[in-house]
Amino acid sequence: MMSRRAFAQGVALLALLPAFSLAPSAHAAGEPRRGGTLNAIIQPEPVSLTAAVLAAAPTGIVGGNIFDGLVKYDLALKPQPELAERWETSPDGRTITFHLRRGVTWHDGKPFTSADVQWSLEHVWKPLNPRNPALFRNITSAETPDPHTVVFKLAEPSVALFSMLNGNGAQILPKHLYEGTNVLTNPHNAKPVGTGPFVFKEWVKGSHILLERNPNYWDAGKPYLDRIVFRVVPDGAARAAGLEKGDIHYAPLSPIPLRDAERLAKLPTVKVGTQGYDWLSPWLYLDFNVDSRHFKDARVRRAVAHAIDREALIKLVWFGFGKAAISPVPSTLAAFHDLEVPKYPFDPKKAEALLDEAGLKRGPDGTRLTITHDFLPYGEDYRRTGEFVKQSLKRVGIEVTLRGQDTAAFTRRVYGDRDFDLSSSWSGSFPDPQLGVARLYSSAFAGKNIPWSNGSGFRSAEADSIFKAVESEPDPTKRIQAWKRFQVLAQTELPTLPLVELRFFNVYSSRLRNAVTRGDQIFGALTEAWLDEPEKKN
Amino acid sequence: MATIAIARQEGGRRRARLAQRIRANTSAITGGVILLLVLAGALAAPVLYPGDPLDMVAAPFIWPGTDRAHVLGTDMLGRDIAAGILHGARVSLVIGLVATLVSIVIGVTLGALSGFYGGRVDAVLMRITELVQTIPPFLFALAIVAILQPSIPSIVVAIGLTAWPSLARLVRAEVLKIRHRDFVQASISLGVPHWRIIVLDILPNTLAPVIVSASILVASAILTESSLAFLGLGDPNVASWGGMVGAGREVLRTDWYVATLPGLAIVAAVLGLNLLGDGLNDILDPQR
Repeated sequence: MMSRRAFAQGVALLALLPAFSLAPSAHAAGEPRRGGTLNAIIQPEPVSLTAAVLAAAPTGIVGGNIFDGLVKYDLALKPQPELAERWETSPDGRTITFHLRRGVTWHDGKPFTSADVQWSLEHVWKPLNPRNPALFRNITSAETPDPHTVVFKLAEPSVALFSMLNGNGAQILPKHLYEGTNVLTNPHNAKPVGTGPFVFKEWVKGSHILLERNPNYWDAGKPYLDRIVFRVVPDGAARAAGLEKGDIHYAPLSPIPLRDAERLAKLPTVKVGTQGYDWLSPWLYLDFNVDSRHFKDARVRRAVAHAIDREALIKLVWFGFGKAAISPVPSTLAAFHDLEVPKYPFDPKKAEALLDEAGLKRGPDGTRLTITHDFLPYGEDYRRTGEFVKQSLKRVGIEVTLRGQDTAAFTRRVYGDRDFDLSSSWSGSFPDPQLGVARLYSSAFAGKNIPWSNGSGFRSAEADSIFKAVESEPDPTKRIQAWKRFQVLAQTELPTLPLVELRFFNVYSSRLRNAVTRGDQIFGALTEAWLDEPEKKN
Repeated sequence: MATIAIARQEGGRRRARLAQRIRANTSAITGGVILLLVLAGALAAPVLYPGDPLDMVAAPFIWPGTDRAHVLGTDMLGRDIAAGILHGARVSLVIGLVATLVSIVIGVTLGALSGFYGGRVDAVLMRITELVQTIPPFLFALAIVAILQPSIPSIVVAIGLTAWPSLARLVRAEVLKIRHRDFVQASISLGVPHWRIIVLDILPNTLAPVIVSASILVASAILTESSLAFLGLGDPNVASWGGMVGAGREVLRTDWYVATLPGLAIVAAVLGLNLLGDGLNDILDPQR
């Protein structure tokens, strides 16, 4: 029989238990906990799960868990081995040899070999790559001396190629399932077979996408999670509520209104983070139509730049999720980013002086000129950015008519008909400006009705020659110098006005650990992620 | 004895009619007063809040009642909500009235022609009316605005083009009733041109139901405009109630007043118009 004293001690010990469970568990010290289902949110629902044929972000987020790349990028955006264990570049930069990992199998059990890489290059990357087909067309051939070696022969050396070789930028598709089929319509695009840490199980349209742990993953012991369920939750308030309650552990790509994120970040059970987007490096900008009546004068473009208070824009519209952009190469591309570019600090007086100088005096009603502004039709944040621009320009005498429309009408108007004065858009720069920035300024894309490419209509022989030079320049230092020359040119001519380096954010449960371990995490796998034990409810 | 009974009956009827009038008038008066307030707000807007109501005039998220300079507070961009509501009243009223006018022109014309001529004209016009009636009006308006791009004229056109069928049917029914009355038949036999008969003899007699349903149409036009703006298809260059509610939706969990205050303005205006319509219906209906 238990003595009274022992019983009392037991009670005292019990009373201590909740305190123990609240303390950081042993796992937090570094020992990952295995198992569990990660409830994630994917918004909007993807159209395909194969990034090789569709560059949309939701596709990349889900598919990134199913596919590996030749390389992945660490937090400093340096390539690290994934399916390629190591690689060598010849001294002339025209031959790259990849040594592939041995013993890797596709999820259907077939071995992964160099033939898959060769076939993907020939039939997917070169003809179909949605972002940078030119980058891959520069690879004239891929040789496969043995199943574990693939040799790329390049027409010109290409430094930028090494920034596009992850499972998103250069996705390797299983040759045995795609060969002889139409890659764009292959049914496996919606039920992919990859080599990655998670295996595709089911996709119930409008409801969820289920991935399960790959027990045969080459990185033995990983991943830690048993399952990932990507749920489709179209209502923003429901997403916020699910995260707040702890039902949802992971929600990438700015899933809730910014003001709600600000509020949730203060809860002990929820974390809001902006890491994992560096490979994308998104930035928001205004395109001046350089062929339009007023904006063909660079002084008017510079006046607009001086009239917009970027810090206030970030604070009011983006609730602090951003950084003022001074150059088309965001500061996240640290090596290329140029701090010496001409800057346009918020200075309405200077703006007015420039407008006066351009001959645009204030009329009797205080208006100097009237322009249209087509804002990116991607939701409230972009609409409010447009409203902010309108009010800012009004103060220096520029009357702005905002035009809202759907995406199809927007791209036709800006990139096709070119019937606009000022438009807004965002774009990813990627780790090398050649990949994401050049197409916004290259005359090859001007007025060609290619959406999201050179909306301003800027044509500059000097910029074009810089782009041409950096493509084949093997010396990284010379490339950086060339990109700095470009930034000075771009910020002097100012066909495009960089506004904000956007900080997309993830919302996740504080139980989720190691959700971000790489610089391209948003399009990479949750290989290292694990779920800590739920806190005991008292 | 008999005379007393009749007198008593008379008195009872008069009292009943009086009571009914008062009831009708309470509704009409309440509605009228609310509308007058909305109208006064719309007229006072440029005096009380000169300048652009979309201008960012103060710090963001000032709560109502905390700053005397901004009685109803400010939204996420620091725009004054009171200024937005008063200027928004102008937009809502203009859109409501003009769109209803468009509906009345279309509906009354088609309804009158249909009722007066009957036969094949009636058949064709009524099929067109039914065709339009089968399309959900809000989706139709949504499609029109999406195609024409959101602006005040396109919104007016969209609402006006979708709201007329009920009016056309109403007018047709009234015209059918009046068409066979003696005074109309007399005009026809005297050889008065048909358009004169329709405009001078028939339409004035259909005025009562048209006025009543017009007040309801204005209310539904205001609601439609608000819904369009809420969905992001409002004119982004003007302050509108629906647009304010739509913008405030994102901060509902933290700053509910941003969406609620313009929402209350919509409720007030629509309620006022409906009450007025009800009251007018009772007063103008000769059957009662």
